[in-house]
Amino acid sequence: MSGFLAVLAAVPITLLVTIGAFAVGIVLALGLTFMRRSKQPWLRFPAQAFVDLARGIPPIVWLLFLYFGLGMGVIKLSPLQAGVLGLGVVSAGYLAEIFRGGLLAVHKGQYEAGEALGLSAWTRYSKIIAPQAFKAMLPALATYFIGLVKDSSIASVIGVKEMVFTANQYARRSDDGIYTFFLAAAIYIAVSIPFAVVARRMETKLQESAK
Amino acid sequence: MEERKRYSGKVDIGLKSPKYLVELAKVDKHFGSNHVLKGVSLRVKPGEVCSIIGPSGAGKSTLLRCVNLLESPDSGNMVVAGQYVDLARPLDKRSLLQLRRNVGMVFQSFNLFPHLSVLENISLPQRRVLGRSAEDAKAKSLELLERVGLADKAESFPSKISGGQQQRVAIARALALEPKAMLFDEPTSALDPELAQEVLGVMKEVAASGMTMLVVTHEMNFARNVGNHLVVMENGSIIEEGDPEQIMTEPKLERTKQFLSAVINH
Repeated sequence: MSGFLAVLAAVPITLLVTIGAFAVGIVLALGLTFMRRSKQPWLRFPAQAFVDLARGIPPIVWLLFLYFGLGMGVIKLSPLQAGVLGLGVVSAGYLAEIFRGGLLAVHKGQYEAGEALGLSAWTRYSKIIAPQAFKAMLPALATYFIGLVKDSSIASVIGVKEMVFTANQYARRSDDGIYTFFLAAAIYIAVSIPFAVVARRMETKLQESAK
Repeated sequence: MEERKRYSGKVDIGLKSPKYLVELAKVDKHFGSNHVLKGVSLRVKPGEVCSIIGPSGAGKSTLLRCVNLLESPDSGNMVVAGQYVDLARPLDKRSLLQLRRNVGMVFQSFNLFPHLSVLENISLPQRRVLGRSAEDAKAKSLELLERVGLADKAESFPSKISGGQQQRVAIARALALEPKAMLFDEPTSALDPELAQEVLGVMKEVAASGMTMLVVTHEMNFARNVGNHLVVMENGSIIEEGDPEQIMTEPKLERTKQFLSAVINH
């Protein structure tokens, strides 16, 4: 029972890593998306390289690099900071791809209508393109977020005291052993399901409003 | 060459704008190795309804889309509502928005914004482009919906109304910005004949109000009865141009005759 409570107490850290990394990922991915759509090659190429690196290098390597690698230099990150930043970088790569797909899903005529009406680029994207792209991206965004809830456990390797780290610690100290991990699994499911439900509700709502 | 001489007196660009609302000179455009516009020149007077016809692939839509720079030509010059544009150079953002403010456009695929209601479709651009207040924009939108016969659809979403109704809303949306000229890119081609008629009816009314219109179309009756300037294009060039009635009854070129008999008897 105390194992359960210990893991339960680590849920906020798991959520903090997840939401933090997702937020970092969204912000970076927005920047990457604009860079990749730019006419300037010197903006496009670095953005593409960043996406490829973010997705091509295993998350665990990113975390070890940011925690130990940068530590050798001037910047010293805490485990939590390195975890959020590392998973944020990886998320940025995937989210940039999701954004790209969302923008592609918006019919070319929508861009043209906005241009022909003389709307500024900001208005075209914020009022016309983004709402439609968001609708197209929502399922992929929700899937990625829920995946991230679980993948945040990778941060345990650099000592972030989230659910898996706590379960591991407890399992070693008590006689419960693997049983603690089953509890952790149950809690992961309990945490993920509400997000899935919210995502499905949002989808239905968007379908209805724009249909 | 002859025209070149006529206008070369003052400025060496072959353009003389005040008499014309839309004036294109030697517009050239390639898509890759495909030469789609071969030095096309066209002049449209204020209030004129200029229909552009011709076989598919002739460059009609491309020419139309050059007027509001949805396509960027390789070279040429243009004056639209008094604004001079050197088509060989990229236009700065401000001038581009200015140009588009003067020119409305209606697309074959309507392109209403599906996530906005009919009313919002017409109001949003007014607020953003002209800076109208929400109330003023709404009043103007409702007035235009009345004019195109769709006052009762203000709160509907585009997917809930017919294609013909969507196109009438698209016309209202463009008119709401009070353009000096309107471009219609095959506005009825995606509609069945009955719905096409209601759109043509609205276009006729717009023409009667004195709007300068450039219309790429396959509707020969519209070109003949509503239009007062007919342009026949083929293979990236204007091959015949003039009074619609005259060209339809007595085309100068064999090619025009061929094309007309093909579309009229189909």
